Amino acid sequence: IKASNSLSFSLQAKMSRPVRARRLEGIDKNIWVEFVKLAATYSKVNLGQGFPNFPAPDFLTEAFTRALSGGNHMLHQYTRAFGHPPLVKVLAQFFEKLLGRDLDPMTNVMVTVGAYQALFCCFQALVDEGDEVIIIEPFFDCYEPMVKMAGGTPVFVPLRPNPPKDGKLMSSADWQLDPAELASKFSKQTKAIVLNSPNNPLGKVFSHGELGLIAELCVKHDVLCISDEVYEWLVYDGKQHIRIASLQGMWDRTVIVGSAGKTFSATGWKVGWVVGPDRLLQHLRTVHQNSVYHCATIAQEAVAQGFQRELMLYGKPESYFVQLPKELQQKRDWLVQSLDSVGMKPIVPEGTYFLVADISQFKSDVPDVPNSDEPYDYRFAKWMVKNKGLAAIPLSAFYSEAHKKNYTNFIRLCFAKEEATLKAANDILQKWKQEKTSS
Amino acid sequence: VEFTKVAADPSIVNLGQGLPDISPPSYVKEALAKVAAVDRLNQYTRGFGHPSLVKALSQVYEKACGRKIDPLTDILVTVGAYGSLFSTIQALIEEGDEVIIIEPFYDSYEPMVKMAGAKPVFIPLRCKNYGNSASSADWVLDPAELANKFNSKTKAIILNTPHNPIGKVFTREELQVIADLCIKHDTLCISDEVYEWLVYKGNKHIKIATLPGMWERTVTIGSAGKTYSVTGWKLGWSIGPEYLIKHLQVVHQNTLYTCPTPLQEALAQAFWIDYKRMDDPDCYFHSLSRELESKRDRMAQLLKEAGLKPVIPDGGYFMIVDVSTLNVDLSDVDEKQPYDYKFVKWMIASKKLSAIPLSAFCGPETKKQFEKYIRFCFIKKDSTLDAAEVILKNWNKQTG
Repeated sequence: IKASNSLSFSLQAKMSRPVRARRLEGIDKNIWVEFVKLAATYSKVNLGQGFPNFPAPDFLTEAFTRALSGGNHMLHQYTRAFGHPPLVKVLAQFFEKLLGRDLDPMTNVMVTVGAYQALFCCFQALVDEGDEVIIIEPFFDCYEPMVKMAGGTPVFVPLRPNPPKDGKLMSSADWQLDPAELASKFSKQTKAIVLNSPNNPLGKVFSHGELGLIAELCVKHDVLCISDEVYEWLVYDGKQHIRIASLQGMWDRTVIVGSAGKTFSATGWKVGWVVGPDRLLQHLRTVHQNSVYHCATIAQEAVAQGFQRELMLYGKPESYFVQLPKELQQKRDWLVQSLDSVGMKPIVPEGTYFLVADISQFKSDVPDVPNSDEPYDYRFAKWMVKNKGLAAIPLSAFYSEAHKKNYTNFIRLCFAKEEATLKAANDILQKWKQEKTSS
Repeated sequence: VEFTKVAADPSIVNLGQGLPDISPPSYVKEALAKVAAVDRLNQYTRGFGHPSLVKALSQVYEKACGRKIDPLTDILVTVGAYGSLFSTIQALIEEGDEVIIIEPFYDSYEPMVKMAGAKPVFIPLRCKNYGNSASSADWVLDPAELANKFNSKTKAIILNTPHNPIGKVFTREELQVIADLCIKHDTLCISDEVYEWLVYKGNKHIKIATLPGMWERTVTIGSAGKTYSVTGWKLGWSIGPEYLIKHLQVVHQNTLYTCPTPLQEALAQAFWIDYKRMDDPDCYFHSLSRELESKRDRMAQLLKEAGLKPVIPDGGYFMIVDVSTLNVDLSDVDEKQPYDYKFVKWMIASKKLSAIPLSAFCGPETKKQFEKYIRFCFIKKDSTLDAAEVILKNWNKQTG
């Protein structure tokens, strides 16, 4: 652009060379950007994005305020880049207990900006161009674009529903991997498999047998396991969350991802972590020090105190890790009943604070549009929030492009909500059903 | 990362790593103390930036830039300015690109450019007065040398003003030279302005994005940590035209999605307080630089008395010092390290004072040029500077 051109025109001009880096190809769409805006605009009852609308526990917010009033103003300055010392120490202590092995807080633990950034570090550190990464569908939507951004190729394998023959409500346990199908996805190019248990969106808690199957294949094909366990404390009906890293041959090839946001109902604090062998974490540290470097100090300090309290109360009834799942199980049961009573068929989740419901009986309200570029459930969810004020997320958001059309009759609802919110949701659903019956 | 470990020893006076040991202003601390009590502030906020924060930033920067800034499309809030640098580079730089980096440089630029698959192209600031430097203004780019670094592959130039480590505040004329080349070669400018409020008497911080033709090709980066002396809050921002910022937003939504809510809310509140008094000398943006100017002058005085040669910075909170005048013989230390690394290690061990060697901020070709300099940070409370004073006054009383 020569300065001799009309000055004002050329000086207002954008760059003419292409600016966007190729690594962003195909990853610019994001379900949350769209649906969070819709919920903010239209929803009266928001069961969409996964965050609690009840307060974070007092002991946690008190820890935050206490740290600030303590007069140590150095809490406003940088802390150790790979994790605030009190936090990595207590995380190491906690996970030593859970995994039954010694952990070095400096090399086996790293703190990240939420589990989201932990996942980013995993993919950037461990996945290269040409690598394949197995992702189990339905999946937390960020896995796919993160694999692609790292230059990898996602390979999908679905959980398949096996409805119970007795006509009872489906459970997330009824969605299973086909062992032969899973095995067929492993190739020489397979670098890693992403495991999410308890699973978002279904709520499935993988059994020992199912984990054993995955572990066997990982060992056989020398594949890494990125184990997203953010909902590790949210398991119901006396079920147990099993950590795949504790299975034979798995510690050395697994990175465990965790979240303070989910553990302590404080999603806005954005404190997460990875736990794993030094030989893998050293590469995550490299990514971390070249992307965010440090995480906010004060939030780490407060989370550390939260964990210290839980370490002392571990297994006791007053433990937040005992109380929270108890509370959430009640909410789950409440929402399940509510949905079932109006004809939206819930899949009862074994864990997490999400459940998926089949909305087939409500499809008449939102006619199908043939050849629409949008999956049916997206349109349904958008219609529902605009017309009924109830926000939920379409299940096909958690599927790869190729498989979105396979599951278009489901929506995901979050039940980590106050009683009043769940009651209000029920009111909307009951009214909606009445309108359908009378029309 | 290397030097922070060494300086974690409390018996050492730490003037190395760039972190304040002064307290942030009380209204900033108070804002944060209040937010944890508000339930919804402990949950997710808008991914690209908490609404009240981006609104406040747009107001402050509209004033500073003299143009309308859309809070939703022209701003991205990131995990520190570090996160902004990362998002910008990942969004706009790729394999095959060249990126011009001015030496000495904040050390993260080089690995970030490499991680994006691009080639760093270095150009040093050169001392005007035959190596006799008294001021950061003595360090300049050679315009012909700079022009030579630009070619059709040059995707971006990274500008840092006020400059870390030298403290140089680029003048309008210097910025115009860079701007002309960016426009001529259709190059991006990534402008790291984290120290934008820390300019000393006789100097003015000029935003390259305000020069004609530059808004549409510049991403300007700022930092709460440096603005409010809260480096541990790790909040920063990128400001620029929508068609560039939207790509940074895509990186952000695929890396960490959102920044912590309570910290963003508290920061927004602090910004509103200072925005309202932006023309007032009491505004923290101005009062902090006055406070730091006297620390700067004190530090410079002490260093001179100890026989060292400080380069007085026009901005920022770092000062580089020529240590060659002391003639400390470290030839028996047989490591292949540059002189300044050896000097700093020796100084930490024998004088209990830490700094950062300048060759840490240089590309491989220029290390020799800068190895007689070390960097001191002076955003330190009086008692820290008092302790440094004791060491410096006693410097020549000890041997080796």
